[in-house]
Amino acid sequence: MEHLFVDFFQNTGFFLCDYRNIVMILVGMTFIYLGIAKDYEPLLLVPIGFGMLMGNIPVFHGLGLGIYEDNSVLHYLYFGVTQGLYPPLIFLGIGAMTDFSTLLARPVLMLLGAAAQAGIFITFLGALALGFAPNEAASIGIIGGADGPTAIFLTAKLAPKLIGPIAVAAYSYMALVPVIQPPIMRLLTSRKERLIRMEEPREVTKREKMLFPIVAFLLCCFLAPAALPLLGMLCFGNLLKEAVVTERLAVAARTSIIDSVTILLGVTVGASTQGDVFLTSQSVGIFFLGALSFCIATACGLLFAKFMNLFLKSKINPLLGAAGVSAVPDSARVVQVVGQQEDPTNFLLMHAMAPNISGVIGSAVAAGVLWSFMS
Amino acid sequence: MYGLDAINAYNGWAISVVGVTIVFTGLVTLSMAISQLHKLLDLWENRKELSLFKKKSPATDQPLVAFTPGQKESSRQFKLLAETLNDHFSLPRLLKLAQISGIDHPHATLATLLEADIIVSDTQGYHVLDMARFNTLVS
Repeated sequence: MEHLFVDFFQNTGFFLCDYRNIVMILVGMTFIYLGIAKDYEPLLLVPIGFGMLMGNIPVFHGLGLGIYEDNSVLHYLYFGVTQGLYPPLIFLGIGAMTDFSTLLARPVLMLLGAAAQAGIFITFLGALALGFAPNEAASIGIIGGADGPTAIFLTAKLAPKLIGPIAVAAYSYMALVPVIQPPIMRLLTSRKERLIRMEEPREVTKREKMLFPIVAFLLCCFLAPAALPLLGMLCFGNLLKEAVVTERLAVAARTSIIDSVTILLGVTVGASTQGDVFLTSQSVGIFFLGALSFCIATACGLLFAKFMNLFLKSKINPLLGAAGVSAVPDSARVVQVVGQQEDPTNFLLMHAMAPNISGVIGSAVAAGVLWSFMS
Repeated sequence: MYGLDAINAYNGWAISVVGVTIVFTGLVTLSMAISQLHKLLDLWENRKELSLFKKKSPATDQPLVAFTPGQKESSRQFKLLAETLNDHFSLPRLLKLAQISGIDHPHATLATLLEADIIVSDTQGYHVLDMARFNTLVS
């Protein structure tokens, strides 16, 4: 009987626990706290945070409980991450809830989304310089795109072992957009620039909105075919929304589908951060480079907006450049907040959505380009 | 391998430059395409007017005014009357002569000749007869 108790105790989490599990559980609880109490990306941080708790319960290997064990339930759910199934479905939902009007009204703002993607490639160089393999460096660089699904998709294709740290880094920095971006925005712009008011955008017709996803899909995917899974679903979702006659499908895409997939993605990515796998020097490097990537991407967008102002008659507020990092719609909101700190009557949110959305397209194209280079 | 050696060994510079170029090219192309989208749609929506315009344009070489046999006869008489006047003649005088001569529908015929640019203004208050056009359209 004593032997049974000893056996049972040796199979409990208390006996099997490692300090790394404790650290990750604390990180998970921090995520949940940030999501619920601070309202930082709660739809992402709460599932990821709880996934971290699930993934760091110490289990006896061989029982088929851990996410990295072949026959476990979590492993089957994780299949959608490792095989890159979830990110395109999330893009479908994003497409079905995104209004491209501001982008269509002033297409020149799309260049800001392109400029911010320079951060991806600069970080790629940094990661190579720090000793990461090219496929890992590409996966780390894409964090600068500030697009969680894109980062997960590319990492699943190029460096599946790094999905945990990269996904957590990407979503953490996305949640921390209101903290990371404002100091860079203030540093790189003058007060006079932050006060610039944008022209009212022209009215966009329904036909334009309907044609846009088709034109964007064909142009971008002919140029970078590897962006097909992400851009295809993004544009398809948007077409469902704009076509009106497919409203039922659009509603499904932007509610039940994206919500279900976000739950599965969040929980499994969180669960993949098992202490023994996650807490490595490599993860620390990824977090450092991820932050760097995010900062560089923000700076590139801001500086390019200032550069564009040298040539434009109707000046643009350079703060909009910071929204080029995607992170829809948080970075656009940050632009609005920083702009209103200087002039409470200046409304930049609508304008910031243009580079914000083009950042999503740009990061998907960048992911496709990197995938095609590395594969 | 670390530092610049690693970047060089893995062709990092080229990948970055080409990558940034492709992303920029893609988004610049897309932005140019969508900046023209509303113009193309306007053209498409006004395609009927465009097709009418296309049908009209070849017609510039053809007579805009079709003369009936009766109008042709009256026009010939107008020509004879115009030749009795100076090269640059007064339109009211030509009309008065036409009425005196008993030409059928003098107002309508004169209007047709003006419309067909057979009688044209010399911009000095008088008019001239364009013989070449008369020969083409009436004779």
